[in-house]
Amino acid sequence: MNWNQATYLMREAFRTMNRQRAVTIVSVAIMSLSLLILAVFLMITDNMMLLMDRSKDEMKLYVYLDDGLTNEQMNAAYNGIIRMEAVDELVFISKDEAFAEFRAQLGEESELLEALETNPLPASFRVSVKDVYKETATLETLASTIGRLDGVAEVNYGKEFIERFSSITHAVLYVDMVVGLIVILSSLFIIANTVHLAVVSRKETIEILKLVGATNRFITTPFFIEGAFQGGIAALISLAALSAIFGAGRNAVPGLVFFSPDKAVIFVLVCIAMGALGSLAALRRYLRIEIG
Amino acid sequence: MTAERGEEIRNIIGIYHLSKRYNEKFALDDINLHVANGEFVFLVGPSGAGKSTLLKLIYMDDFPTEGQVIVGPFVSTQMKRSKVSLLRRKIGVVFQSFRLLYDRDVFENVAIAMRVTGESSYEIKKKVAQVLTQVGLYHKRNEMPSTLSGGEQQRIAIARAVVNSPAVLLADEPTGNLDPEVTEEILKLLFHINAGGTAVLMATHDLALVKQFGQRILFLRDGRLQEDKILGYKGDLSQRLERIQKDPGRFGPGWNPGTK
Repeated sequence: MNWNQATYLMREAFRTMNRQRAVTIVSVAIMSLSLLILAVFLMITDNMMLLMDRSKDEMKLYVYLDDGLTNEQMNAAYNGIIRMEAVDELVFISKDEAFAEFRAQLGEESELLEALETNPLPASFRVSVKDVYKETATLETLASTIGRLDGVAEVNYGKEFIERFSSITHAVLYVDMVVGLIVILSSLFIIANTVHLAVVSRKETIEILKLVGATNRFITTPFFIEGAFQGGIAALISLAALSAIFGAGRNAVPGLVFFSPDKAVIFVLVCIAMGALGSLAALRRYLRIEIG
Repeated sequence: MTAERGEEIRNIIGIYHLSKRYNEKFALDDINLHVANGEFVFLVGPSGAGKSTLLKLIYMDDFPTEGQVIVGPFVSTQMKRSKVSLLRRKIGVVFQSFRLLYDRDVFENVAIAMRVTGESSYEIKKKVAQVLTQVGLYHKRNEMPSTLSGGEQQRIAIARAVVNSPAVLLADEPTGNLDPEVTEEILKLLFHINAGGTAVLMATHDLALVKQFGQRILFLRDGRLQEDKILGYKGDLSQRLERIQKDPGRFGPGWNPGTK
């Protein structure tokens, strides 16, 4: 393909969209709706992932120490824990700090604590675990190992919560993958069929082009450009619609997060590629069957 | 090419033992013929005789069940589908139904044949203007085809078919939809194009028309070539044959589908 052909085909793609404005608008509208479903799904997935990441951050082990430990005994317990491979961070909370935290949590009801003659809360270690070890079995083993150290009274890691969280995470990811695949395939199917209709409506043009010696590339290029352009426009429209939905839903679902700018750019680029590939798929099928 | 025209005549189309079957039914059966450079040939026969099928096989919209078609350097048995576009640039095709782009003006309908070959805008403007003048439609270059008469639409189709200076023009019942006056006008235009060196193979079922103009005639019936004869030639046949023999052809020297 030479420069004359390339510039002609670029002009031709935009001229055709302008000539067939109604068809172009309907195509973009259908693609926008289809991509909006995809965008909603991706935003929900994105938020779920963020929620899961935040919940994982909260996965900590609370190691309560016996009362009356000497500094050396506490140091020995500290060194025993920090040396473990799975441990990411270790924070010591003295009896007084624990009491102050508790008082802060109680807020206005903290006056109740005035009745206590001694501080009943134990000193503790707050153990952050490396991400790769945040699995039920690993945490259980880790808790058990720490529990056997001298001076450790009890280890608490929210076993039930973690087990439930882990099973929900797996279920959500599984459902998400299946739904995602269906949504993406449906979007591609809708785009390919929308383009296919446009191709059929230009059947005569394609046959005339073949007749005068146009190559398949010459015939497919304008459709490819149109598909990519319409995919991009439809992506921007669906993002705008998603933004409106997000604005309305933000109050109902606190903590809901919109796509980050880089994710929005990736979404638009993927939609451009989907539009172009959808066009190409529809056209390849058509050229093979109708013209050969 | 008939033997009396000499062994040296360069053929533009060679057809050898060509058969085409659809669902075991013969559309064409053992056809053998040649068309020389610059020749004008009528392909005559009733509806369903196989005329359109033969033309389709020549511009390789379809391929033979048996035998082969050779057009210039293009051989049907060795032809890749991806190369068919190169053949189409060397031949022009005209149909009864005109097959124009009704959302583009006259100029663009003709220019499209040059756009696919990647010609520059300057060349396209120059050549399209020349061809539209030749068919008498330059003054209507900016009009849409739907506003023109049938005869004018067919002239646009002919202009598109010849704008790349093809070696051969295939016309499938090009006057089928036109009244007698316009038919004569189109025939004269085809002869004019032929006089410029383009071989013309025109399919028609109108025997009266063929008798009126006279030329080499191929009679096709039930898929078989029944007769290949010269019905009469209005012009200087010896001069014409001399030109045919000298013409290296628009595919250039070094090829020949056969000299039988």
